[in-house]
Amino acid sequence: MITLAAEKCIGCVKCVKACPFGVIVMKGKKAVIGDGCTLCGACEQICPVSAITIERAMKDIDLTQYSGVWVVAETEGSQRVKNFTFELLGKGRELTDILGQSVSCILLGNDVAKFADTLIHHGADSVFIGESEALSRYRAEAFAPVITGLISRYKPCIVLFGATHAGRDLAPRVAASLELGLTADCTGLSILDGLLLQTRPAFGGNIMADIICPYTRPQMATVRPNVMKKMEPDAKRAGEKITVPVKIDASSFRIVLKEILDSPQTGKVKIDEADIIVSGGRGVCTNGGFALLEELAGVLGGVVGCSRVAVDLGCRPKSVQVGQSGTTVSPKLYVAVGISGSIQHQVGMKSSDTIVAINNDPAAPIFQVADFGIIGDYRAIIPALVVEVKKNRGG
Amino acid sequence: MITYEFSEEQEMLRQSVREWAAKNLTPRVQEMEKNKEIPPDLIKSMAKMELLCPTVDPEYGGSGFDAVTAGIVGEELGRADYTASVPVFYLVQASWAHVFDKYGTRECKLKHIPPATKGDAFIGIATTEPGIGSDLANMVTTITPNGDKYVVNGEKNYISGVREVKQYGGGHVTLARQNLRAGTRGMTMFFLPLGLPGIDITEDEEMGREAISTGGFHISNVEIPKENIIGKEEKGFYIVHEGYEFARAIIACVCCGAAMKSLENGIKYIKERNAFGRAIAKYEGIQFPLAEHYTRISMLRDFTYKALHMIDLEQEGKASRMEVSKTVAMVKMFCATWAMQAIDDVMQWQGAFGYNKECPDQAAYRAVRSFTLAEGSKEIMKTIVARELLGKEFITYR
Amino acid sequence: MLIIACVKQVPDTSDVKVDSATGTLVREGVPAVMNPFDQFALEEGVRLRDAAGEGAEIVALSMGPPQARSALMKALALGADRAILLTDRAFAGADTWATSYTLARAVGALGKIDLIMCGLQAVDGDTAQTGPEMAQHLRLPQVTYAERVTLDGKTLTVKRQTDTGYEIVEVRMPALLTCTPPADFVPSTPPFSAIIKAKKKPYEEWGAEKINTDADKLGLKGSPTQVKRVFSPPKRGQGVMLEGNSAAAVAGELFQVLAKGGVL
Ligand SMILES: Cc1cc2nc3c(=O)[nH]c(=O)nc-3n(C[C@H](O)[C@H](O)[C@@H](O)COP(=O)(O)OP(=O)(O)OC[C@H]3O[C@@H](n4cnc5c(N)ncnc54)[C@H](O)[C@@H]3O)c2cc1C
Ligand SMILES: Cc1cc2nc3c(=O)[nH]c(=O)nc-3n(C[C@H](O)[C@H](O)[C@H](O)COP(=O)(O)OP(=O)(O)OC[C@H]3O[C@@H](n4cnc5c(N)ncnc54)[C@H](O)[C@@H]3O)c2cc1C
Repeated sequence: MITLAAEKCIGCVKCVKACPFGVIVMKGKKAVIGDGCTLCGACEQICPVSAITIERAMKDIDLTQYSGVWVVAETEGSQRVKNFTFELLGKGRELTDILGQSVSCILLGNDVAKFADTLIHHGADSVFIGESEALSRYRAEAFAPVITGLISRYKPCIVLFGATHAGRDLAPRVAASLELGLTADCTGLSILDGLLLQTRPAFGGNIMADIICPYTRPQMATVRPNVMKKMEPDAKRAGEKITVPVKIDASSFRIVLKEILDSPQTGKVKIDEADIIVSGGRGVCTNGGFALLEELAGVLGGVVGCSRVAVDLGCRPKSVQVGQSGTTVSPKLYVAVGISGSIQHQVGMKSSDTIVAINNDPAAPIFQVADFGIIGDYRAIIPALVVEVKKNRGG
Repeated sequence: MITYEFSEEQEMLRQSVREWAAKNLTPRVQEMEKNKEIPPDLIKSMAKMELLCPTVDPEYGGSGFDAVTAGIVGEELGRADYTASVPVFYLVQASWAHVFDKYGTRECKLKHIPPATKGDAFIGIATTEPGIGSDLANMVTTITPNGDKYVVNGEKNYISGVREVKQYGGGHVTLARQNLRAGTRGMTMFFLPLGLPGIDITEDEEMGREAISTGGFHISNVEIPKENIIGKEEKGFYIVHEGYEFARAIIACVCCGAAMKSLENGIKYIKERNAFGRAIAKYEGIQFPLAEHYTRISMLRDFTYKALHMIDLEQEGKASRMEVSKTVAMVKMFCATWAMQAIDDVMQWQGAFGYNKECPDQAAYRAVRSFTLAEGSKEIMKTIVARELLGKEFITYR
Repeated sequence: MLIIACVKQVPDTSDVKVDSATGTLVREGVPAVMNPFDQFALEEGVRLRDAAGEGAEIVALSMGPPQARSALMKALALGADRAILLTDRAFAGADTWATSYTLARAVGALGKIDLIMCGLQAVDGDTAQTGPEMAQHLRLPQVTYAERVTLDGKTLTVKRQTDTGYEIVEVRMPALLTCTPPADFVPSTPPFSAIIKAKKKPYEEWGAEKINTDADKLGLKGSPTQVKRVFSPPKRGQGVMLEGNSAAAVAGELFQVLAKGGVL
């Protein structure tokens, strides 16, 4: 329930601007909350005099009211949908088939409605589409209230986010405002006794935990990219498209974007979406050897990543850094070249399917997590490997 | 009643030094070993951590540590540097700056201690000579008053830190005979800057402790000012033992640190190494020595901190000189031997690799070996304990 | 200016194991340290306090068992002006929701604050959720993944990581930041004098009664998530070392094994 204490209201209009659904209007000098309020909480946050309060009855709720698996999509502007969205839709299908419910996708952005069909082909039964200039780039202040509002209104049973920088910024904000549990960085999802069993690594991947949220709905999780399987797209699949009227006035935001410093893309595929990563460390940096790695990645159809030192030494951009302070990856094949394999690096790549380590130091810790190790000089081995791949691939 | 724990400050300092060493010291030991030098910036970094000459009065740039706290630092450095070079730099300087601070003149201290606390100089100790080590009474180096100056002549050898002094500056707390008829009762302690004209330094090649030098110097007609006299003239022999005891107790801390670190290396190795179908840690032939070494070093460690605590009590007038001498001697008698035995077994568990130059434990073994001699041989420690038990009339050479 | 730095005491991650018999985490004998992300956040906070000049204060805040005192003592040695440990049986077993709620209540009890500095994530629970959830409880704007922060009057300029690189944002305080150290960050180790000073700074322990809160929202009881089971991750098979006579030979060998495993 939402209440606006008229006696406190100072008529500053901030809530009117902040409401993503445009349901607050000014009557005389006071704000009034109209019909269609989703309890998203945007107004409550912005109100400088705490005139607005929301009470949520999350205890002793009727769990059966909640139905459906939601996947919160992420796009790269209006260019493309991030891969993990499809992976989560695939997972969502699997879960709903057990639960006997449906899969919905939340698609927010500017000029993104065009993606709705692909999302449906990849498993969505319905797509909620919210478009606004203010949603063109991810920011918590714009996305969190819209999603909070949609959840409040439609009551899904499960909501999945990507465990990306954006997802990990957004999901906890939504969870806290709805008083919900949230499981972080899941690598496994299944249904056990009707509950979502969420499996996730903790302690830097040294242990795994199964987490459940028995008493609250929806059950929410962020999920690591590159772990779940997407389904084969089916162009014949049909689904519903629901347009969410979003009306956000970015001038109410407290955080102002000043500058975007995106790293130059070295390949077309993002490091956290790549199936094959050839990564280099200090050993490669100091000898200008990244050109060799580019070549190998090229013939394998992968991308080049790096360890932290390579970024420190200025020879690779931060965006391709693998590890605790960079990106966590789990490709099918990870080739670590001249990377000693500090704990911090290992945290970021340990869950790769297959790990190959090439290093001239036999004591390098990377060999402890490698499936295949080669002790030797990469400057001889990489070119030989390029030749080998070309030979076998008939290239 | 007995309270038996470190203070919260001491625990915090231990943690801080451990973190400092893990970042700044351990990763550079290999480089130090190869270059046979402690990098100057590392010493500067120790100064920033306020670890140099830590017991010295803050007026001269020290931190006013008690002996127990100084020992904690020694133990952590012993863990972190398997060549024991940085620990030696630390402990020799800490011990002799301690005596210098206690008995030196204000002028001389103001001139020579602050550079050492800032990491710009080294303070060492010079008692040993080519002809004598244990038997100080037969020393040949002399110090002779000459107007308001003193003139020193003689030779010292097996002295730690000679190159460091040449490189950074500083000098050695030195003992020489002033009253030639009086034996130990006629000795004077003074601070000898090694940069003075008339001092000719040579370096030796040692078995271990690669990154800190040992060497000797000839002293011919070297003049020092009166202010450099430490303590009373002809009373040097009495105060030299305060420095020795301080150094001996910290040496024991370094030995405990080195041995425990080595045992940890060993534990890791024996769990991973398989022979005859199982981890060698499963064999009692490996387990028993591990248990024994661990027990012995743990007991040594506790007793070492007791000895340091006695030194602190002595400052408060709550323990006698002789009690301190005896307790410290008991610790110093065994510390190097037990540490070596522990490290020796760790080397043995590692098979051929234990004998390889790349194995840190063999370097630790060679380093720790020096402590059977430096700052007083283990045999002399036994003579001290026996003297305390039997009385002076049973001293062998009287 | 009043800054709150949230610090969590965590075990040294690499050492933690699951007891295969009881299925619980073995925490015994595992050294505890200040969460490294929090050390960066705290050191940044100290820097901002110094930049803000006279009258600025930074309070280190932690929730945890009594032993977490040592993380706060370190925070004091690193420059925090005072420290508060939230410790009470009622707080035990909290998930990120209950943790962030409890921390937020404590912040509420401190009056008007300007800035909350959190680590991006704790290296044990590893969720990165506590910061944003706390921001939501306190209705504060959040800037996550912050690497560099500068202060100009009441406005912070923050360089933050994004999925595609970095962005620079501005936010007027009050605000909450979650911080992650840039590549060149070297954590400080407090020298002796800082440790001695730390012991003389104000340190308090607060129980549940001190933060005036709904008991149902604390600890295990207030936690919507439940850890059902912890287990060791499936072990990777023993790695195989490939040892050919020449680069070409090992390259061939590697290609064969990868092809056989269906990787290539
Ligand atoms: C194996 C395992 C898995 C878990 N999985 C989940 C899960 O998926 N979802 C969930 O909600 N909970 C989970 N928990 C519980 C959760 O880890 C902690 O209980 C919670 O108190 C802190 O979360 P965190 O460690 O992830 O910290 P993070 O949220 O990663 O910490 C971020 C920052 O918040 C601040 N902070 C966090 N905790 C404290 C504190 N106690 N005192 C002061 N500042 C603090 C610090 O600045 C820290 O850097 C899990 C616990 C375990 C043991
Ligand atoms: C690496 C290293 C660094 C050193 N650094 C310094 C330094 O910085 N400054 C300094 O002044 N000195 C230094 N020394 C010298 C050290 O203090 C002496 O080696 C030690 O005091 C023993 O003296 P010595 O070598 O002359 O042996 P000696 O006194 O000649 O003794 C030879 C052997 O006989 C034994 N012995 C002697 N008397 C008795 C007795 N009464 N009963 C039983 N056994 C006896 C000794 O224990 C020893 O084993 C260093 C030594 C080493 C190895």
